[in-house]
Amino acid sequence: MRDLAARLTALDPDAGAALRVITYFDRLTSARAGLPAIVRGAAVLAGCPAHFSDPARRIHLHVTPDGTSHPTPAPGLTSAPQLTPGPQLTPASGLTFARPDKSEISDLSTQEAGAPPSANTAGAGLSVQVGAGPSVQVGDGATLSLERSGPPGPVDAMILERAAVAAQAALDRTRRRTAPTDAELITITVDAATPEPERLQAASRLGFRSPSRVRAIALPTTNPAIHAAPDPAIRAEPTPGIRAELGADTGPPTRAGVGPAGRIADLPASFAAARTALRFTAEGTEQDPGPRIVHAEHLGGLALLADATHPGTEPIPDVRAVDRVAATAPWALATLTAVADSPSLRAAATTLRLHHSTLQERLTHLLPTLGWDPHDPHGRLRLQLALALRRLHRSTLAPAPPLARSTPTADPTLAGPAPAGNAPARDAPAGNAAR
Amino acid sequence: MTIAPGPPPPFDPELAAALDVLDLNLPSPLTAKVLPAIREGVAAANPSDEDLSRGGAYTVVRRMVPGPAGDPDVELLILTPVNAAGPLPGIYHTHGGGMIIGTSSSGVELFQEWLDEIPSVIISVEYRLAPEHPDPAPVEDCYAGLVWTAEHADELGIDPDRLIIAGGSAGGGLAAGVSLLARDRGGPQLAGQMLICPMLDDRNDTPSTLQMDGLGVWDRSANHAGWTALLGDARGGTDVSPYAAPARATDLSGLPPAFIDVGSAETFRDEDVTYATRIWQSGGIAELHVWPGGFHGFDMLAPQAAVSREARTARLHWLRRLLGA
Repeated sequence: MRDLAARLTALDPDAGAALRVITYFDRLTSARAGLPAIVRGAAVLAGCPAHFSDPARRIHLHVTPDGTSHPTPAPGLTSAPQLTPGPQLTPASGLTFARPDKSEISDLSTQEAGAPPSANTAGAGLSVQVGAGPSVQVGDGATLSLERSGPPGPVDAMILERAAVAAQAALDRTRRRTAPTDAELITITVDAATPEPERLQAASRLGFRSPSRVRAIALPTTNPAIHAAPDPAIRAEPTPGIRAELGADTGPPTRAGVGPAGRIADLPASFAAARTALRFTAEGTEQDPGPRIVHAEHLGGLALLADATHPGTEPIPDVRAVDRVAATAPWALATLTAVADSPSLRAAATTLRLHHSTLQERLTHLLPTLGWDPHDPHGRLRLQLALALRRLHRSTLAPAPPLARSTPTADPTLAGPAPAGNAPARDAPAGNAAR
Repeated sequence: MTIAPGPPPPFDPELAAALDVLDLNLPSPLTAKVLPAIREGVAAANPSDEDLSRGGAYTVVRRMVPGPAGDPDVELLILTPVNAAGPLPGIYHTHGGGMIIGTSSSGVELFQEWLDEIPSVIISVEYRLAPEHPDPAPVEDCYAGLVWTAEHADELGIDPDRLIIAGGSAGGGLAAGVSLLARDRGGPQLAGQMLICPMLDDRNDTPSTLQMDGLGVWDRSANHAGWTALLGDARGGTDVSPYAAPARATDLSGLPPAFIDVGSAETFRDEDVTYATRIWQSGGIAELHVWPGGFHGFDMLAPQAAVSREARTARLHWLRRLLGA
């Protein structure tokens, strides 16, 4: 305190005013005043609006010198002031604030709200540039700024510095546990064990409000996602949109199970279906052919198989047969998959980028090992089922996801909805089902 | 009171910070010697007539009206909203200042702030101050001004059924005393009495008075000085008029509805709470607000503080309910 006072004497021609600033915030801190009182203090002492923004904690305070608090829009909805801060002040780095013009220096108590006359040039009107004033970082990520349209006040720097220290103390005391991250909020929205009002509130904080229609998306390695269903009339076909959303621009799209669209309150059911759909996905590679994204609404009766099949259950002989085929050649599994998924052999050949006769040769090679002919409808259905069952066996996701309200952590990669089944499918032991 | 009071209640954090910055402690002891300088300082801080007009929203008129029988005329400051259709509610204001300082323009901004919510004609009385003019001069001046105001309600644009008396600190005590006088003399019918942290009890010995000795804005010694200026040697004795010190009144029935507010950390806390309680016990109407951690006059000295804003809002809401506005 004495050191600071000495520094003030050296820097500030109006040390009396600065000392009063120090006294004010020290007193607030020692009395354990809350954040609003501190921001209000900054506004009152500076004689201009003060703005505090902490996006991580979702705190936004805007206070005018008369003590009135104004709600500020959430970031992203408008040009949020915290995105355009003025010159930065870091308390640790000392006072690097531009010196005010000496003529502007006045006694603290005589400072008036509003812009000095010189600030309003002709035509400028009374518009106040939001975020145009000086600002200071509070901890990591929060900003306190004074919204001045004119030249800085004589003790602006001191006000910001002391208010920042006080604000940090208040935050440490009252908000040590940070507000839930988006990932945590999403986890809440899809958690059947969470009461509906709490789920709706979490969705609302994410920007989803009734009567929006939404679908849950299950992902193999991260927290769930939720996705606005743009039009209830469109049934489960927004794959391109989801593909883009799931990171097609940063490499191959992730595997995803897409739940049915519905009410926000029904997100847990959508997520359960999405998790089932995820178990039918594959890497889409030659070694693990199949769809990377599966919509629960397209599964039909296949969904019933998912309940009965998981890595621990005994594979039926047809699945073992597919495994044996897969072991015969690198291309074998992709060939069977194309045949099963295509309306004709010719279409399957196109999918595989093979000549029709080459595909015929391959099948001639593979079918004795398979043990049945997939050319006729029954054989094709049998192959489709065998391939689907094989994926279910290989999927490490639990069949009936008991989405525990597992203590969500801030790191989305650590906070899987069902930790036991959260290993990425691509890392599953290749021989899991072929033992 | 036989129980020794505990330590003083802490000030509200925001108010405490403001108190430190404002450094408003009156010189102690408050003697006749320093009084002129203080009066000058208060007068200099008072709003000018230009301030009072609020950019033309009010007409500002000063008018001499008859004082108490045998005494000089009394000046009334009359603030009339320019753009409001009458007749309007009337707020008869008795200013504060410990009975020894202040002028008729001290504190009227509190009521001018309600121009939009409850446009009212504000009449503020320039009563004579102690110690030059001891009791009963101040309260009788205030009463004389009220009588004239009520009799000239039409001329002033005031609805006589919506005339209240309001004052803070010593002005709150005077407002309470004038209300008692009006009741006992069959004087003007007041619609309400707004007693803002009123100074009511010359005995100066309540637990809150003892707790706040040496602390805050108007401590025990300042209070002693104020009451002694008004009452002289009679202060604290057996022969004090209830119109000077309304806490002395034995009968609090038949009074206009009262609004009383006070801080928990001020000299007047206990006498104000007791006054409200006794009004209820007499079958009367009172609304009492005790604002935690408030020092004397906190909402005037630190108007931006959260508790100050709440206190001001409470007054406005009471008035709105009272007047059906």
